[in-house]
Amino acid sequence: MTLFHFGNCFALAYFPYFITYKCSGLSEYSAFWRCVQAGATYLFVQLCKMLFLATFFPTWEGGAGVYDFVGEFMKATVDMADLLGLHLVMSRNAGKGEYKIMVAAMGWATAELVMSRCIPLWVGARGIEFDWKYIQMSFDSNISLIHYISMAAVVWMFTRYDLPKSFRLPVTVLLGLCVYKAFLMELFVHVFLLGSWMALLLKAVLTGAISLCSLFLFITLVHSS
Amino acid sequence: MFEEASEVFENMFKSSFPLTFIVFLPAVLILVSPLPAEAAHEFTVYRMQQYDLQGQNYGSRNAILNTEARTVEADVLSRRCVLMRLADFSYEKYQKALRQSAGAVVLVLPTNMSTLPQDIVQQFMELEPELLATETIVPVYFALEDDELLSIYTQTQDSSTSQGSSSAAEVLLHSATANGFQMVTSGAQSKAVTDWAITSLEGRLTGVGGEDLPTIVLVAHYDSFGVAPWLSYGADSNGSGVAVLLELARLFSRLYSHKRTHAGYNLLFFLSGGGKFNYQGTKRWLEDNLDHTESSLLQDNVAFVLCLDTLGNGDSLHLHVSKPPKEGSPQHALLRELQMVNTFQYPDLKFSMVHKKINLADDTLAWEHERFGIRRLPAFTLSRLDSHRSVARNSIMDMRPHVDLKKLSRNTKLIAEALARVIYNLTEKGTNGDLEIFTEQMQVQEDQLTSLIDWLASQPRAAQLVDKDSSVVSTLEYYMGHYLKDVKRHFVKADKRDPEFVFYDQLKQTMNAYRVKPAVFDLLLALCIAAYLGLVYLAVQWEGFTFRGPVQHPSPAHGTTSQATLSSSGSCSPYTCNMRDFLQSQWSQECVLTNLSFFLFLGVELDPNPSHRHQHHACCSPLLHWLAQVKSSLLKSSLITSPHPSLKLVFP
Repeated sequence: MTLFHFGNCFALAYFPYFITYKCSGLSEYSAFWRCVQAGATYLFVQLCKMLFLATFFPTWEGGAGVYDFVGEFMKATVDMADLLGLHLVMSRNAGKGEYKIMVAAMGWATAELVMSRCIPLWVGARGIEFDWKYIQMSFDSNISLIHYISMAAVVWMFTRYDLPKSFRLPVTVLLGLCVYKAFLMELFVHVFLLGSWMALLLKAVLTGAISLCSLFLFITLVHSS
Repeated sequence: MFEEASEVFENMFKSSFPLTFIVFLPAVLILVSPLPAEAAHEFTVYRMQQYDLQGQNYGSRNAILNTEARTVEADVLSRRCVLMRLADFSYEKYQKALRQSAGAVVLVLPTNMSTLPQDIVQQFMELEPELLATETIVPVYFALEDDELLSIYTQTQDSSTSQGSSSAAEVLLHSATANGFQMVTSGAQSKAVTDWAITSLEGRLTGVGGEDLPTIVLVAHYDSFGVAPWLSYGADSNGSGVAVLLELARLFSRLYSHKRTHAGYNLLFFLSGGGKFNYQGTKRWLEDNLDHTESSLLQDNVAFVLCLDTLGNGDSLHLHVSKPPKEGSPQHALLRELQMVNTFQYPDLKFSMVHKKINLADDTLAWEHERFGIRRLPAFTLSRLDSHRSVARNSIMDMRPHVDLKKLSRNTKLIAEALARVIYNLTEKGTNGDLEIFTEQMQVQEDQLTSLIDWLASQPRAAQLVDKDSSVVSTLEYYMGHYLKDVKRHFVKADKRDPEFVFYDQLKQTMNAYRVKPAVFDLLLALCIAAYLGLVYLAVQWEGFTFRGPVQHPSPAHGTTSQATLSSSGSCSPYTCNMRDFLQSQWSQECVLTNLSFFLFLGVELDPNPSHRHQHHACCSPLLHWLAQVKSSLLKSSLITSPHPSLKLVFP
């Protein structure tokens, strides 16, 4: 389409990050460099994941349209490394829990946004051809911001020593959901043959549910302590 | 965030040049990256003819297309690419598009044109010469229909018809749901092809018995013509003529290979190129043979020249002559033999002679024999058509189904019989008219003709496409070489300074249809996104509770003091908290009061010297004045007596 369309997609993808950064008060803590460090950790973790995947997971050679259930599940398991990375970022930052979570999540999500969506948007949304997928991609980046915030919160809760016994199970379940969310999404799309908008909606609902749960747990935890 | 970032970058660039390079080079590369060619649909289009003949321009003079598609129903066509389907194509619609200065015309042809109703085919065939008669600046393309293209056409038609009548809201809604299509051709502007050589082929069978034998020349042009060169298959015109000529070559080569049947006539076979462009190949061949060479079969004792043109169908044959043959001449002999074979062997066939004088004032010659007539060689053309103006000679609809092989082989047989009767002088020798020479082993082979016609009609043979390396020429040459002697090529190139014919390139292109939305849609989208971002902003403010709420929240149960962190940027959004709690709790009132008291402090602090204030803070004065008023009224109502005791200001 036009540069204007690119501007639209860009605004849709990036402004929520900016708003979150500004309004969550991270800017007041001079957390910019900490976010950049978190982003660098993201890059490092992704590189490790890629090397691992390339070394130990052969390319799927089954027929087209056949879903490699086990293979995809194993690949999703590798995403556990994200949890480790987030934990690493949070453990290196001193401060309140909320601050640690926000810094890790913001840096992580922003790095992902820049690395995986910037170039497709620039190349695609600026082209002559109009496609809804760039708008969808921008929405998707908003969803992934929420996803990473809740994921960081869950990781933070999981790594606390003073986590009450009654919290242990729901937090672990949420952790598993966070890791296997992409896998579950793919499975849903594959089984129910969802369209791209439906898939996006499903993803939003799933992420929203996970984040609400983790928010609830987080607030309860913070208040109780 | 941005200030910090810019500082970082500044330091980075000051410190090291290579780093700058590393950062900037990708940035520049990304900025100049070409737009990707990822189209919704990509299809091949064939451009309308573009050529100059004897200084006159014909066809579409333009090849570049980059406009949005519309169908002819739309109100405004100017600078749009007008899509039309053959079924609803008419000259009026075409003219309408041209009058409204359309950006281009794309005519969608059905893939299987033989299944079209006859009246549509006939109508289009009659339109073809009209489309080409005048030059148009607008690029005109032809595309073959497929499912994708059909769906593009339907969607374009929907958006074109709904434009005028609906309300603004409907148009907006429509713009979001419907697709527009931007048609883009990949090629460059068309330009004249220099040094194009038209190839003609010659072969002979030499007679026996003496030096100065009479020569019979058989001629057919092999090129085809239609409104679009890449779509002109020319099965009947003049694939059938070529097939007949090659079959005659085969038959007579067999007769000439036996001593007893070797006749006293030289047979010269000529496949001419550029026949649809005023018989350029024939013209040059005659010039070469008559003007430039010392000895040639054409220079002495030519019995007659028989041109074969469009013989593949119909139940009539016409012998076109420029002047009626004289009694006793070889031409008259052929005419008589043709009539005799017709009466005795094929009484169903209508045979007639058509007399038409050569009109030198015309732009183009009517039939190929006129080229010979001008050079005073006795010549005539045999065709199933009664007029050279027949649209069947120059149409892209002239495809393989237009040739009836039964009739083609019957015509071949008739010509072969008549020729043989002339060559062996059978009538003088007193044989009957019903004597068949080409029977049994010598008969006209229909499968031979079938394969020839199939091959000829399988590829476009427009003169612009058949160059000297093309498979058409080499296959024809090979075939002739199999039966004839001295097969030679003749080339015609247009004169550099005053070209008689000029061809243009870019006749076949790839067209991309990109899905696009109107500018209104972009604006609408921008509004929606702005609204969404506004919602996100509010939501984040709400959610900010998760991060800062508990810190600021004085839980009533614990009864701790409230602590407000005020940003240095002032009181725009100093508090981010949960709305519900905000409204419910005591703290919200405190919050308002703290906020107000901050203002009051500000006011008090700046207030002490009114004159000073007016000098330095003139712009703030109404606000400060108002604040002073609020302060005094608050003090009066004894809502606050002093600055809030629990307030702790933190200035980073």
